[in-house]
Amino acid sequence: MKVGLLRLGLLAVLLAVWEVAGRAANPLLAVPPSAVLPALRDLLLLRSYPDLPASLLLTLREIGTAYALAVAAGLGCGFVLGMYRLVGRAWGPMIAALYAVPAVVWYPSLMLFFGLDAASKIAFGFLLGFFPITLAVLAGVRQVNPQLVVVARAYGAGAVTVFRRVMLPSMLFTLVGGLRTGLALCVIGVVVGEILGSKAGMGALINHAYGLLRTGDYVALVLVTLALVVGSDVLASLLERHARRWTE
Amino acid sequence: MSARPGALIAIEGVTKRYLTGSGPVEALHDVSLSVGEGEFCTLIGPSGCGKSTLLGMLGGLVAPDHGRLVVDGRPVTGPDPRRVATVFQEAGLFPWRTALQNVEFGLELQGVPVERRRRTASELLGPLGLRGFAAKYPRELSGGMKQRVAIGRALALDAKILLMDEPFGALDEQTRALMGEWLLDIWRRTRKTVIFVTHSLHEALFLSTRVAVMTARPGRIKSVLELSMEYPRSMESPEMVALRAKLWSEIREESLRAMQP
Repeated sequence: MKVGLLRLGLLAVLLAVWEVAGRAANPLLAVPPSAVLPALRDLLLLRSYPDLPASLLLTLREIGTAYALAVAAGLGCGFVLGMYRLVGRAWGPMIAALYAVPAVVWYPSLMLFFGLDAASKIAFGFLLGFFPITLAVLAGVRQVNPQLVVVARAYGAGAVTVFRRVMLPSMLFTLVGGLRTGLALCVIGVVVGEILGSKAGMGALINHAYGLLRTGDYVALVLVTLALVVGSDVLASLLERHARRWTE
Repeated sequence: MSARPGALIAIEGVTKRYLTGSGPVEALHDVSLSVGEGEFCTLIGPSGCGKSTLLGMLGGLVAPDHGRLVVDGRPVTGPDPRRVATVFQEAGLFPWRTALQNVEFGLELQGVPVERRRRTASELLGPLGLRGFAAKYPRELSGGMKQRVAIGRALALDAKILLMDEPFGALDEQTRALMGEWLLDIWRRTRKTVIFVTHSLHEALFLSTRVAVMTARPGRIKSVLELSMEYPRSMESPEMVALRAKLWSEIREESLRAMQP
């Protein structure tokens, strides 16, 4: 209750500052919230950008594809690196080092390889999401107490049971945390990819509005994209809570 | 050391080598021992003498290089929790399971229906001194309680044989002494066959029907002591004091050898 009030309070202060500053500035460069609201209404009623639903759908599809690929590859690589100690010792640090490189440096070559359409955005989202998931799985596997694996084996567990009853619950928090970070980064990758160069999707609309100095529309589009990001993170946190209950 | 007729456990000429960074190390060399039903047999010896390896073999977790192990008439080929239950030095409880769920673990793997295994586990909590702690997680339990949960997890299997690898090694001295008395009580009531690994002379003499002293690496059975005194035993009786001195001199010799490079 108090937390909620504090949050609303901060939001109100920010909006007020924005309103005052926005009114004082050049209307081509900045707009106050009072001017964004009509732009948002026009956007949602499909007056300013009739292709909003198609763009939103395209972006969501790219995010979905990129995330599915990142999860599959991340789980696969993470488990291989975690289970085969030699491989993990050899390649784990290399993956961690690559993760530290600002991934945006790869984007030009991704556009060259995959073109301006969805494929390059999916590839970029995948690239961003893959590393945190792989590293989380790797860390998770290393977290498993080998003593517990011995206990389970002594009590009759085979490989599958050891995995389900010992490894998964041991690494659950780390794993779910990695999946959540991976999702956030996939979303960022796809949206940034679209903004850097695309013909369709939310990023392309943002570029369009921004390029034509339609600042009100631009801010409205950003707000819709923001809702998408926040929505995906809320969804992920719900899953996280669910997983927590599921282990107990 | 000769095979006893009708022995429940027979260890026959077992040898085990481990490969380490500095070459092969022989952990056990030609070990033979047989244990009859209902016995409390303790393995004692210097660190690294292969006691735990021998226990691991009986539990089916470690395979011998030579020789064989027969438990209840069948050669050991892998873990067989229906006949052999193991308690490890570290309790090894699953932190995401409550005390009760930990006790249930083995039965769950055996596919025992939930009501039945819950009843079995609940009935065990009383004698374990854990009544009222069923819903607690391991992090909420003391060291002694954790180890009792681990013992409960083993007892729940109702296997004939209980393997205990220094189960009280990580506990403080007072708790350890109490746990010994408690285990004695459990053993006398359930009549399990127990193979018990310890470093403690006190535990060995207080609990066992037989004590097997092992040599420094490579581990062999150096001697076997039969203890026929009544339970509960007084550790101050002249007989016990003499036995303690005898046992100590044998172990001391091996421990000194183990310390030499």
